[in-house]
Amino acid sequence: MPLYVEKKPEVLITEDGVRTDGRKPYEMRPVRMTVGILDKADGSAFIEWGGNKILAAVFGPREVHPKHLVLPDKALVRTRYNMAPFSTPERKRPGPDRRSVELSKVIREALKPAIFVENYPGSVIDIFIEVLRSDAGTRVAGVNAASLALANAGIAMRGLVAACAVGRVGDFVVCDPNHDEDMWGDADMPMAMLMEAEEITLLQTDGPMTEEQFREALKLGRNSIRFLYEMQKEALKRPYQVVERSVRGVV
Amino acid sequence: MSESAILVKNREVVVPGQPLARGRFKLGRDVFRDESGIIRAKKLGLADIKEDTVSVVPLSGAYIPKEGDIVIGIISRISGSTIIVDIRSPYQGVIPIPRGRATERVDMRKYNLKLGDVILAKVKAFDGSSSLLLTIDMEGLGKLEGGYILEVEPAKVPRVIGKRQSMLTILKEKTRSDIIVGNNGRIWVRSPSLRELLALEKALRKIETESHVSGLSDRVSSFLTQELSD
Repeated sequence: MPLYVEKKPEVLITEDGVRTDGRKPYEMRPVRMTVGILDKADGSAFIEWGGNKILAAVFGPREVHPKHLVLPDKALVRTRYNMAPFSTPERKRPGPDRRSVELSKVIREALKPAIFVENYPGSVIDIFIEVLRSDAGTRVAGVNAASLALANAGIAMRGLVAACAVGRVGDFVVCDPNHDEDMWGDADMPMAMLMEAEEITLLQTDGPMTEEQFREALKLGRNSIRFLYEMQKEALKRPYQVVERSVRGVV
Repeated sequence: MSESAILVKNREVVVPGQPLARGRFKLGRDVFRDESGIIRAKKLGLADIKEDTVSVVPLSGAYIPKEGDIVIGIISRISGSTIIVDIRSPYQGVIPIPRGRATERVDMRKYNLKLGDVILAKVKAFDGSSSLLLTIDMEGLGKLEGGYILEVEPAKVPRVIGKRQSMLTILKEKTRSDIIVGNNGRIWVRSPSLRELLALEKALRKIETESHVSGLSDRVSSFLTQELSD
């Protein structure tokens, strides 16, 4: 017997487009990003997005171990997406599983085009994404945090990568699906873009959409990503502004 | 293409991918030109626009060796004919031990090194990836005896030295210490007492956190005066 039984809400979205958490279709859950919170990592970030709490840490460029993985002309990029055993309603067996191995791969491929790997030949850049609390949309939250951690580590990049999920519930295309919509919604489409070129580096779709709905979802996703990109820039600059203000205040 | 324009303030904090300028500018360090001709930042740092050159002064990042750099290394392995040196970088330094004829030209006593010894070395050759050749075969290079090793972020080394060594002079005079700054962010210090060493350590942390705010030298100078007066 499972200790925790999930119940499907009777109505996922009302006729006038009010969702189970009270949001409108185009509204995002509250997001907060913080940069540089881990001392021992070369770069780090923490993102809280709805009920998600996710840490990202970057180590490198550093020496490659084991040695046979060395790429002579560019940096190796390794990514590990991992969920804490306590991050889900039911305890998750620790360690990598099918899902987290796949997410590690898609997140790596979403971030890699942003990195100037050719600037760091023969080294490795390790990216760790630790989900402490999960609440739908962890992969896109992880991409946002990891991109901030890379910039915080002082790694040469073409731009930041911002990510957001969109979905479909009934006839509505919705921004940033919540847990209920993730479980019982009709379609879910996480996407990531390399800014400011707005090149798509991650696009997955689970569930059917008409061409019209897909186009609407893509547009909604792009607008949401633009908004998240502004938040990322603000998060990266904030620590320096705080220091500047305190120094100027004292002097 | 539209005419030349600068899109940021000088010394402004910029993020990777942020547009800095458009048009006829030279590319300085840590910037790139995109397909549409806009010059963008590669790293998180401070925009630096001097005449017709656009650069970014990075605020963090690993130490990437350059030929001619002076680094402070720690011997991590000695195997046969080579000494492997940790220089706090993605790349390990290698010092070949001279043999045969070569031993006549160099001071072989310098090569009498043990695991864990701290050395001052110069980057002799670096091919950008695997082979990083160091040398200690010069006046002033070799094993560092006594003293302490402090560390700063490699990106902040130019701030610790300052324009025409201004910051380093302040640090040396105020703490009455011998200080050697390696390009890799390791700093060797011999202080008259622990008090000066601790004050120096605090001053280095201050340089690290406040490097992007102008007037740093004056602040560090008055900070050290305050720390060391009683």
